[in-house]
Amino acid sequence: MTKLLITEITRMGPAYCVIGLQREKDKIRSIRPVTATANSWMHFPHQRGDVLQCALAPFSGAKPHVEDRVSTHGFQKESTVPEPELVTYMRKAEIASTLPELFGCVLHENKSGSGLYAMPHEATRSVCGTQTRNLRLELCANEVRATLSLSSGEVLRDLPVVDRDWRDFIEAALAEGRGANRVARLERFLNSPFHYKVLSCPHHFIRLGLTRPYHDLCWLMLDTLIPLPKREWLEEF
Amino acid sequence: MASIKDENHWKRLVDECFRREAGPREVVPGPAQDLIETGVLDSMGWVSFLRALESASGLSELGALLTERTPSFESIFQVFKDAQTERPSTEHDFSSSTRPATQTSVFISSSCAVVGSRKIPSEEVDRAFGMPPGKLRLRAGIESLAYAAEDENELTLGVRAAQQALHTVACGVQELDWIIATSETHRGYPSLAAQLHSQLLARENCGALDVGGACLGLVNGLAVAQGLIASGQSRTIAVITSDVHSRTFRPGLVTGEFGGLFGDGASAFLLRAKNGAASQQAYGLGEFFFGCAGQYAGAIRVADAPNGNLDVHFDGEALSRAAITRLEKVVREIELRSGIARSSLQGLATHQPNPRLVTLLAKQCGLPQDKFPVVARLFGNLGSSTCGVALDAILQSARSQAGQWGPIFTASLGPGLLFGGGWLVPA
Repeated sequence: MTKLLITEITRMGPAYCVIGLQREKDKIRSIRPVTATANSWMHFPHQRGDVLQCALAPFSGAKPHVEDRVSTHGFQKESTVPEPELVTYMRKAEIASTLPELFGCVLHENKSGSGLYAMPHEATRSVCGTQTRNLRLELCANEVRATLSLSSGEVLRDLPVVDRDWRDFIEAALAEGRGANRVARLERFLNSPFHYKVLSCPHHFIRLGLTRPYHDLCWLMLDTLIPLPKREWLEEF
Repeated sequence: MASIKDENHWKRLVDECFRREAGPREVVPGPAQDLIETGVLDSMGWVSFLRALESASGLSELGALLTERTPSFESIFQVFKDAQTERPSTEHDFSSSTRPATQTSVFISSSCAVVGSRKIPSEEVDRAFGMPPGKLRLRAGIESLAYAAEDENELTLGVRAAQQALHTVACGVQELDWIIATSETHRGYPSLAAQLHSQLLARENCGALDVGGACLGLVNGLAVAQGLIASGQSRTIAVITSDVHSRTFRPGLVTGEFGGLFGDGASAFLLRAKNGAASQQAYGLGEFFFGCAGQYAGAIRVADAPNGNLDVHFDGEALSRAAITRLEKVVREIELRSGIARSSLQGLATHQPNPRLVTLLAKQCGLPQDKFPVVARLFGNLGSSTCGVALDAILQSARSQAGQWGPIFTASLGPGLLFGGGWLVPA
C-alpha cells in the first residue's frame, strides 16, 4: 500500500483528476492515481490535505504524464494535514522558478489565440509547483482564467483554472440564488479582496499542470491555488 | 472599433478567428449554435477564440461581456452591437477631432502615493556625504529623507502605488488600456512601463509607455493620458511615477549638496473618461501646457562619466533662481488660462526641489504655505514623484473634507529647463 498526500483535485468537464505526494526515501514526488480505464475519476469524495492509503501499479505513464500510476484498489483515508503543512510538502516536491524549468522544456505561445503549451515529447513532467509574484483571476465568457507572474518576472497569461475548489467557489458565487449583479459582484471581489486574501497569505503557493495531449499539444493549466477559497468569503460580496 | 453597420467586417473577423482556432476545414457553425455544447470548441478553444477576437476587434472586454451568455456567434454579435451603442464610433467624426481635449471629460478616479520605507534623519545623510551634520536641515530645510529598503526599487514602489490606486476603486487591472510610467532614476530594459505591465498582470493588449521629463514626468504623463482618452481610443489609464535616487545619487558618486536632497517614492493615478453621472465625486483634468526655457539648460546636467560614475553639473544658486522664477510664471499662466483665482485653490501640486524653495515659492505666489503639501521636508526631492506625492496628498485631503472642493494647480520643471503646468477642477 502507498500513502498519498492529496495535493491536486482538478475538474475538467464532469471528471476529476487527482494528484498526491508520495515520499520515497528522502524525496517527495507527485503521483497521479488513475483508473485502469480512464485518466480521471467521476467521483472523488476526498479533500486536499487528506492522507490516503492506496494500491498503485508500479509503472509510470507516457511522457509527459510520467506521474500516472494505475490505482488497483480503493482509497482509504488515514489522516488530514492542514493547508500550511500541505504547502510545506508541496515546496519539497517538483518546484521551479522559471518558465523553462517548469516542465523541463520550452513553452510555446498560442499564436492564434491564448494560452501556453508544451510539446508532449519535450516535457519531462506534467506537474510543477512555483512561487508567484502576482496573480489574478478573471472571468472570460463563463470560464475562469488566471494570469500570473513567476518569481523570475515571466508572465503566464490566460491559464484555465481547473482547481476544483476554486471552480466550485466561482460557480457558487454565480449561483442564481445569490441575487442580482452576480457577475459584477464577483468581478469586484476578484479585483480587490481576492488579491489581498491570496497574495498576503503566508503559505500562498500554486501548482501548474499540463493537459493530456490534445491535437498533439499539452496546454498549461492552473491546477492548484493555495489558499483554497473559503465558503464564508461568499458573504463578503 | 469599426461601425456595426459594417456587418460584413464583423462577420469576416469572427469567421477568420474561428477558423484559426478550429482549423481551416471546420464548417462555420450556425449563429445560435452552442459551440461548447455541440463540441465545436472545447472551453479552452472558446476562450482562445475570444482572445483572438478581442485583439482583432479592439473590444478588450469581449470575454467579460459574454459571461452568462451562450457561447455562440449570435452572442458575440450581440455584444459587438451593445458595445457599439455604448461607445459610438469616432471614425469620420470630424466634429469630435476638432474638439479641445477638455470637452472630453477625463477625471482622476483614484490615486495613491508611497515613499521608501526607511526614514533617515537628514543629519545621517549629511554624515554619509561627508558634510557637516545639520547642513541639509539648515540650508535646504530637509528634516528627513525617505530611502528605499533593500527589497524596494522603482518597480516595487510603483506596483504598490498602482495596486492601491486600483484597489481603492475596485478597478481590475484588466480594465487598463495604457500604463504610462515615468521615472528619472530607472535605467535599463525592459523599461519601467514594461516591467510594471508584467508585474501588475495587465492585459496583453494594454499599452505600456515610458514618458520622460524627469521631475516634469508626472505632468507629461497626465497630459499624454488625457490625450489618449480624449481621442476615444482609451478609457482607463494608469499614470505611475517611481524614483529611487538613493541608489543613483550615492555618496562618492555625487556631492552631498546635490545627492543629499533626494529621496525615494512613487505615485499612481487612475484616469478615466467621465461617463455621465456614474462616477463618484472626483477631480477632472483641465488643460496642460508645456515649454522649454533653454537659457537655464546649463544649471543642471547629469550624464554618464566614462569611468562609470555620474558626471553631475549642478549650479544650485542658478537653478534655485530659475526654479522659483519659472514656477511662479507657470502658476500665473495657469491662473490666466483657467480663469481660476489662486486664492480659491485646494492646493498646489508643484515640484519641490527643496523645502526652502517651497517657502520662497509660496511667498512669491502670495499664498499660505499650507497650500503646498509637505513632501520635500519629510521625504526629500522625489524627482517625478514629488508632484505625484503632492497631488495625491491634496486629493486625499479633499476627499476627507466635508463641503466644497477647490481647484488644484500643478506645475513642475525638469532639466532643460523644461516646464509645464495645468489644472484640475472638481468634476
